Amino acid sequence: MNNLYQNNVIDIQNLTISYHKKPAVRGVELQIPSGKIVGIIGPNGAGKSTLLKGILGLIPKDNGLVQINGQPVENNLKKISYIPQKESFDWDFPVVVYDVVLMGRYPHISLFGRPGKNDHKKVIEALKKVDMLEYKDRQIRYLSGGQQQRIFLARSLAQGADILLLDEPFVGVDAATERAIFQLMRNLKARGNTILVVHHDLAKVREYFDYLVMINQRLVAFGPTEDVFVPEYLDKTYGGRLTILQKSEQLLRENN
Amino acid sequence: MFEALSKIFIEPLQYEFMQRAVFESVLVGITCGLVGAFIMLRRMSLIGDALAHAVLPGVIIGFMIAGKGQLAMFLGAVTAGIITSLLIGFVNRNSRIKEDTSIGVMFTGAFALGILLVSHLKNVHIDLTSYLFGDILGVSNDDLILSGIIAVVVAASVLLFYKQLLVTSFDPTMAAVMGISTGLVHYFLMSLLSMTIVASLQSVGLILVVAMLITPAATAYLLTDRLHKMLILSVSIAVFTALVGLLGSYHFNFASGASMVVFATFVFLMTLVFSPSQGVLVKYLRRKRTAEKHLSQDILKMIYKNCYDQNKVRSLRDAVTFKELAAWIGAPERLITKVIDKLVQENLVLVDNDKVCLTTAGEKFGLRIIRSHRLWESYLINEKILTENNIHSDAEEFEHVLTEELLDEIDEKLGYPQYDPHGSPIPQKNGDV
Repeated sequence: MNNLYQNNVIDIQNLTISYHKKPAVRGVELQIPSGKIVGIIGPNGAGKSTLLKGILGLIPKDNGLVQINGQPVENNLKKISYIPQKESFDWDFPVVVYDVVLMGRYPHISLFGRPGKNDHKKVIEALKKVDMLEYKDRQIRYLSGGQQQRIFLARSLAQGADILLLDEPFVGVDAATERAIFQLMRNLKARGNTILVVHHDLAKVREYFDYLVMINQRLVAFGPTEDVFVPEYLDKTYGGRLTILQKSEQLLRENN
Repeated sequence: MFEALSKIFIEPLQYEFMQRAVFESVLVGITCGLVGAFIMLRRMSLIGDALAHAVLPGVIIGFMIAGKGQLAMFLGAVTAGIITSLLIGFVNRNSRIKEDTSIGVMFTGAFALGILLVSHLKNVHIDLTSYLFGDILGVSNDDLILSGIIAVVVAASVLLFYKQLLVTSFDPTMAAVMGISTGLVHYFLMSLLSMTIVASLQSVGLILVVAMLITPAATAYLLTDRLHKMLILSVSIAVFTALVGLLGSYHFNFASGASMVVFATFVFLMTLVFSPSQGVLVKYLRRKRTAEKHLSQDILKMIYKNCYDQNKVRSLRDAVTFKELAAWIGAPERLITKVIDKLVQENLVLVDNDKVCLTTAGEKFGLRIIRSHRLWESYLINEKILTENNIHSDAEEFEHVLTEELLDEIDEKLGYPQYDPHGSPIPQKNGDV
């Protein structure tokens, strides 16, 4: 919207995070522009999920600074929404779809408060937007992988979050559902939301992401996808793993 | 009749100690039912048991310092509970020892310390047995007041912090992102748990208190899909089992804790079998019904395939024997006979002694199954989901569940094929082959 200067929502300076005394993310510098869909790719153990958690302040950092809209993360909790990997949930938990989406309203409700009329209205709206209203009374175990993903997107919608961080949202989801979820993300982007997605499949990178973060503990490259999704950086990111590299180069050729 | 009931339920109430025991049971049921639900959902059953044992030294030390009194006992127990849960967390974070082991080490250590103190205090009389196994008939007014206060604190906490408890239990990461301290909620719950254990000491005893926490909660969990309903059910079941346990204790002189827990376990097992949504029985019946439905469809298909497909013979004289059918399908003859009885009632087959053939309606049905099977096979191979070799078994599964709309969709997608991948003709929708 503003052509004069790039508006950055997330500003990461010299971020270093360790897991069990082993560095997982080292010295990462990143400025994430607003209103874009940004992919985070890298091999297993490259610190993709750690980077997301670091941005959210969920794990202690050794060093560095993360700011959202020029302020500490704690001041922006209502604006951020995080959708963890599927395995991190107990799908047998006694909650139905509606309950999960309603949790998105919790940041807006006071300490002892109860959800009000407006909160319920927002939940219904969010469920409609992801086309899941008819499933609102269903326990979450009895949903398909794509539907499970959609209710967590609905939760972020109900929250009214501007910044969405998703950890491998397409795992265990069929191709058609993946497209549908991606379309939802695009709609969110059109409304000005910024979306960060940890992604492991290189096939759709060009189609999905405006910007790409390529990481292997250290930041290898960051920029518009067409600039950085090139053999040179892929080689650096996935260093030595030729099979993956060959596959991705082939994909590059196909895409060009 | 009324007299007998009155003897069981009303008569005991004339005694003051029984009136206190009834109140105590209700209070303990409320407290355990609420806290237990969260303990179970957060997979902290083991830590619940551990804390129950670990409060013993706290109770004894409180007793040593301040003499027999509810407040000293309460403070000692809660302090011991919190110190133990902090120690468990400390060992976890600062060594390679995993949580189950650190729980095991800490609670047995604390429990042993408690026993050691009791055996050392020869001059003071402490009724260890009543702490260990519960003695609800000996509940005093002070015990009752303490349990009452704890029940109010627990119920108020769950009501006020329902949101926080729900979100930290279901999605701790989101809770953290929202700025809720998951650590704080954890230790808050540990404090509630320690209080619950103190409240239950007199009635259930610390050895069995974990059962009053998790068994009613687990029973409720089998009956509903929503947290608030689970809490209400958990409390109701806990109160009910505590009262029944109390009656057992009064009439048969059972140890009160054991009496409650045995009944709670019985209720749990009954629910496990008979729960309308999750019950083992319902699941078994559902599976059996599906299996029978599949078998009946297989029978129609097989008769059609083997008797009509090639030669188009349609008389009872050329019908199939049950034995042949059993061999084709690979199911026991006894089962085949049973299912065929149903098919006769549905007017799908005709039976003459041990022979069976299709009615016109049965023919239509058999044809539909064959169409379903062959279309599904063609689809799976066409979409390169499976190869020709392993396809058959999958199609056997799916042919039973495909709806007419889905079949039409597949048919259209494939361009209305005439033959399946094995070269057999696919029946058309109108029944033409």
